[in-house]
Amino acid sequence: MKLSNYQLLALLQLVSPSLPVGAYSYSEGLESLVEQEIITDAGGLDHWLRRELRYGAIQLEGGVMVRSHSCLLTQDWQGLNHWNQWLSATRETRELRQQSWQMGDSLLKLWTKVQPEGRAMIEQITPPCHYAIAFTLAATLGQIPPESFILGYLHSWATNMINGGVKLIPLGQTQGQQLLFNLSPLLDKITAQLLSSSEDDLETCSWGATLASMYHETQYTRLFRS
Amino acid sequence: MRSPWQGKLHLIYHFQGGATQIKYQHNQAPLKVQRPFYPEGPQICHTVALHTAGGIVGGDQLTQRVELQPDSQVLITTAAAQKIYGSQGETAKNRLDLELGRGAYLEWLPQESIVFEGAEYRQELRVNLDPEATFCTWEITRFGRTARGERFLRGNWRSHTEIWQGGKPLWIDRQWLPGSLETVESPHALAGCPIVASFLWLGTPIDPEHLAALRDLWSPSPHSWVGLTQTQNQGLYCRYRGRSTQEVKGGFMRLWHYLRGLSGGSGNSMPSRPLIPRVWGNR
Repeated sequence: MKLSNYQLLALLQLVSPSLPVGAYSYSEGLESLVEQEIITDAGGLDHWLRRELRYGAIQLEGGVMVRSHSCLLTQDWQGLNHWNQWLSATRETRELRQQSWQMGDSLLKLWTKVQPEGRAMIEQITPPCHYAIAFTLAATLGQIPPESFILGYLHSWATNMINGGVKLIPLGQTQGQQLLFNLSPLLDKITAQLLSSSEDDLETCSWGATLASMYHETQYTRLFRS
Repeated sequence: MRSPWQGKLHLIYHFQGGATQIKYQHNQAPLKVQRPFYPEGPQICHTVALHTAGGIVGGDQLTQRVELQPDSQVLITTAAAQKIYGSQGETAKNRLDLELGRGAYLEWLPQESIVFEGAEYRQELRVNLDPEATFCTWEITRFGRTARGERFLRGNWRSHTEIWQGGKPLWIDRQWLPGSLETVESPHALAGCPIVASFLWLGTPIDPEHLAALRDLWSPSPHSWVGLTQTQNQGLYCRYRGRSTQEVKGGFMRLWHYLRGLSGGSGNSMPSRPLIPRVWGNR
């Protein structure tokens, strides 16, 4: 589907790294993986991001975004709050739960000012609100179709993780941009899968990611909040 | 290969006159339970469940339902490690429903599973937890018969856990392991380790200072990983990825002993040093 210019602009605003929700302060365990020398170069980061996209928590978020978008379109507020609670229950560590809540609540607060006409919809959510749900809500207000805003969400997640990798490993800016560019086919493929996934498909295979986040919670020296 | 089983187990416990007793019991082969016993006194009932067919094969369907009426306290374990054999294609299913009433306390502590290469297995554990009940569980899984050099390069293992409280999901962990060389070796998944394990405690809240003490109880051997974190409602979740069943059982038992000491506030008082079930042998 071709986006109108207004839809495209709304999406660009939401996926911009300058959206003030604090994404830059989170690494989702990457900081501890670098400290433990589990990820030491661009190849290691690339492998990690690909595994996370196919088997990690972002799969659950994407699946919930598809479902909460339907809830928003049908004004099923109970369903929307169910999926928000569902995400809280599936967040496997405290830090990852806090991250998603902080970013989600920040985005909702921001969006009541950016699009005041969305206030009634925003008030239907019982806080704390996960970022994936807040993002879906803002995208729905911008009338962006799910195949575009989920793709954008995955892209902004990958951008943030790569920015973290550039700082932590460290990598050159060029290497970071190469990594991001080369992820495009996978981002496209995962988006398509998420749109047709059943509730049974919401599962993960990511012991390493959970352990990395658990280690980060007690990491002595840290730049990032997750 | 034998034909598939439709095993059933249904237990209802109640608390009466200072003792937890089995009020109702129904089972269908290959599942059964040994006669309950009380090594720690009458308030906590120890029960050993058995799978008499030697292992689970593709197509098997096990259905287990355990209800704890208010204030009952139960420890359930299994008589031996559970083998899950390679499948010709059919999935083996194991469905467990646990219902915990007000003030109830359940330790669901099965021995480890050994998942043979090529197994197709799906476990679903669903718990309804009263806001004043406490639930403690662990799950220890070995992928492949490591002693023979077998790795889990084919097959699918799923273990979906859902804990609900007052109609809301409190903890959902839907794990899946698709057998492949990449999954076995990737640092994002098994990182070359044959064993993964989880420990979960929900109910009596754990204060941050206890969390710090629990973290200090166990430091893993080199090439094993252990992490602890807090769930919603101040529960505890611990994850292990490593190479030794003995190491993970020992570590989980230390967490379990410590948490027993905290649980006096919920329901009836119970011994703070649990007795290790004899079926586990000397560990």
